[in-house]
Amino acid sequence: MSLNRNRLYVRVIIASVVGYVWILLQVTKNNFSNNPFRVCFLKQITNIPCPSCGTTRSVTSIIQGHFLDALYSNPLGYLIFIVLLISPFWILKDLFKKTNTFLQFYIKILTTIKKPKIAFVLIVLVILNWIWNINKGL
Amino acid sequence: MDAQKVDLFIMTNGKFFESHQINVIRNRMLQVDESKWSILSTTQFKDPTTILIVSLLAGAFGIDRFMIGDTAMGIGKLITCGGFGIWTIVDWFLIQKATREKNIEKIQRFL
Repeated sequence: MSLNRNRLYVRVIIASVVGYVWILLQVTKNNFSNNPFRVCFLKQITNIPCPSCGTTRSVTSIIQGHFLDALYSNPLGYLIFIVLLISPFWILKDLFKKTNTFLQFYIKILTTIKKPKIAFVLIVLVILNWIWNINKGL
Repeated sequence: MDAQKVDLFIMTNGKFFESHQINVIRNRMLQVDESKWSILSTTQFKDPTTILIVSLLAGAFGIDRFMIGDTAMGIGKLITCGGFGIWTIVDWFLIQKATREKNIEKIQRFL
């Protein structure tokens, strides 16, 4: 895999910063349900929620301590919360110590989820989550 | 490799690569030996136009990125509603170049 360590780290850090800013804005605003502005492209056009709709609500619920609400909004929120919590600090540690443990972990995870059996299970989970999202009417 | 075969390859597969890379591929192919021909002629490349269609229709779910083998970017797009919709639109313009770059990566493994 031709993967540049620094390029990956910069990308993840930028994504994390955008994520933190976005979550911070939503937490401080505290009136997400009344907000007429919707970020989801698909939902705005077709009014059908996408597989990841409700993730922002989920992450803000986790921060406020409403863990069941978070699970109900979108279980993907837990994944994003963990990634946002761990990855920037892991990368900073790597940069200071001049190691590449995050890159190795990233490659390991990627090769694991590319295995057909695991990929199939994950695709089914995403589709089930999507169906659940549509039923919930997020 | 035989120049005629190389030109045949370029004619059939030229559209899968960036125009400025075609000359480099041609020169490299002329240098490698004949045994590589069977691998090169049977290698399947991703068609940038097909990927563009997928990107237009299902770009919000990151399917285009999954198809060209960019699994990480695909997941990133999928779990962020297509990067808040912005990344989806940006990818409509970038995905063809990304596909061609993936094709170059693939052919470089044989050359």
